[in-house]
Amino acid sequence: MSERELQHIGVIGGGMMGRSIATKVSQAGLQVVVREISSERAEEVKARLAAALDHQIERWALTQSEKKATLSRIEFTADLDKAASCEVVIETIHEDFEAKRALLAELDALLDPSIPVIVNTSTLSITELAQGLAHPERIVGMHFLYPVTTTRVVEVVRGQVTANEAFELARKFARILGKVPIEEFESPGFVTTRVMLPLVNEAIQVVMEGVATAAEVDLCMKLGYDFRLGPLEWADRIGLHKVHNWLDHLFQETGDPKFRPCPLLRKLVRAGHNGARWGQGFFKYDEERNRLDRPPDDTPQLG
Amino acid sequence: MKILVLNCGSSSVKFQVIETSLEMIQANKDSAIAKGSVERIGMSDSRLSLEVPGRKTYQEISEILEHRTAVERILKVLVHPTQGVLGKVEEIEAVGHRMVHGGEKFASSVLVNPEVEEMIEECVVLAPLHNPHNLRGLRAAQALLSGVPHVAVFDTAFHQSMPPKAFLYGLPYELYTRHKIRRYGFHGTSHRFVAIHTARLLKRNLEDTRIVTCHLGNGCSMAAVKQGHSIDTTMGFTPLEGLLMGTRTGDMDPAVLPWVMAMEELTLAQLNAMLNKHSGLYGLSGVSSDMREIQKACSDGNRRAKIAFDIFCYRITKYIGAYAAAMGGVDAVTFTGGIGENSAEVREQTLAGLGFLGIELDAEKNRNLPRGEEVIITTPASRVAVAVVPTNEERVIARDTVRVLGGVMPSFAVPDNEAPR
Repeated sequence: MSERELQHIGVIGGGMMGRSIATKVSQAGLQVVVREISSERAEEVKARLAAALDHQIERWALTQSEKKATLSRIEFTADLDKAASCEVVIETIHEDFEAKRALLAELDALLDPSIPVIVNTSTLSITELAQGLAHPERIVGMHFLYPVTTTRVVEVVRGQVTANEAFELARKFARILGKVPIEEFESPGFVTTRVMLPLVNEAIQVVMEGVATAAEVDLCMKLGYDFRLGPLEWADRIGLHKVHNWLDHLFQETGDPKFRPCPLLRKLVRAGHNGARWGQGFFKYDEERNRLDRPPDDTPQLG
Repeated sequence: MKILVLNCGSSSVKFQVIETSLEMIQANKDSAIAKGSVERIGMSDSRLSLEVPGRKTYQEISEILEHRTAVERILKVLVHPTQGVLGKVEEIEAVGHRMVHGGEKFASSVLVNPEVEEMIEECVVLAPLHNPHNLRGLRAAQALLSGVPHVAVFDTAFHQSMPPKAFLYGLPYELYTRHKIRRYGFHGTSHRFVAIHTARLLKRNLEDTRIVTCHLGNGCSMAAVKQGHSIDTTMGFTPLEGLLMGTRTGDMDPAVLPWVMAMEELTLAQLNAMLNKHSGLYGLSGVSSDMREIQKACSDGNRRAKIAFDIFCYRITKYIGAYAAAMGGVDAVTFTGGIGENSAEVREQTLAGLGFLGIELDAEKNRNLPRGEEVIITTPASRVAVAVVPTNEERVIARDTVRVLGGVMPSFAVPDNEAPR
């Protein structure tokens, strides 16, 4: 089956991740169907995706004609049946167990058993999501990292019953997208999330204890270890409520106290200071999500 | 004999069938009996088109997912009972392939054998955007036309005669020995073709001439062709260097790059796209990458378009002077390519200040060119001739194929032009 041509990819869910995946898949020359719950939502997703492409043009990453070509390969629809004509279907709806499970059941009934369904999750259990489906062996996990258009790695995850064929097709798909697939066995948080979250949580703890300010913690890590973003700005840009949910989930799953969300993180989330998109998290941001309170030492230096 | 010429890009294959022979080349009588292309390979609506002189253009749209299928369809349409031009596929006696990068390995066009194929493979790292597709096309054609010889013609080969002082950069020498960072130059088949035809037009031996060739198209480059050898060219390690182009910067201070990357927080991919796709005529003018649009905007009084136009011409002027100096004089300047052949304004402004070199443009001839013909556009009194010679890279590829098969293909390498490894 891994010799099969991959030409049509279904993306179920047009959120930030879904749009980013759809863009990357289209830019790799494949046809994409993006499915949303209503045609109004589908239109909105299209507009948002186009706006993101415009932003890339402003940043010299893309040209007008490349934007046109990218959009021409993406169809936006409310019709789930369209996914049935794809060779691979990726679900990218929000990180909620019940919602994902309901969708997988629907897809399982709709799709030919040979079509793998890729679950895009960072913390949920593939095996548990697949349980009870007529064809649980077709479920593969793929943890894409945002922005999908530029990150070079993707975690490809085997659940307990994932078939080799489905797994190999997912790996082949990753290569078509120009990404390095890392083969992983299912475990909460996989590699990237599991390693990153305790670091972020500890950074928040350090701020809460008053050891250093948020800006200083980020500056230390950024300049000290050549991080592109400090851990707190990274969390702001992901969304603090998401970071909180992931930590909470890993804590419950493993019982390991290193994943217990720091009280300061809870506080910020309860205040609605969820990060860059909300204008405020650990730092302040303008409407275009540019950070406003960056200290002078945190600017590029030549020589 | 009939030669099939193939030029494979990432999602397209351009082709021509050329009737040629050593005698026909000598008499300048070789010509295309059909040409066309397959566009949008990998899509469900790929387009194949075929142009045959005297007939309406034929088009078909179908799903063509890979280069092999594209070549298959091309062969099929060529032998089609009503649309085709061949009785049977076996009439094709050889295939000539355009290859972008031959690195330092190829100073000539060559017959493809497994060893040559491996060497082309080794050049992929130098042209990751082009060579893999060229190779894919080559392999598809080899599979489908296994009984005939295949010849590879490289964009870089003609410039392999450059001396080290022209091809090395002022970088640490290890970058040359480790990574082969040096000037290679491109458009070699075009520069060579128009230099030969310019000498012929001047009724002089190529071996006695010093010609500056200007290939001004989508990409733009110039070459100093002395006694038939390229001794310098404006494009470098990649086709970005040298002249201003539609969307490419051409020459600039490389120190700008780390500076811009830091200030704008750009990734390598963004920087590459900025230099190759957002700069040049388009980036400067904000109007278009197309010279016709730029000229129109200029006449409408758009100041940024005028600046872009001026920079475009000024760079060419500068390099004509530089190459005249490099060759110890100049006998002819030749324009070719879409802009070189069609923009009287570019030629006029470029040459305006070059009277001191002995260039005297015939303004009337410059403005009223017979389309598609080789002409001289300077006055009889002009000490340096300026010519317009329409380029024809496919014809060169077909010619080289015949020459390679006939054992008369010259190498462009010259003695003692190697740099120490």
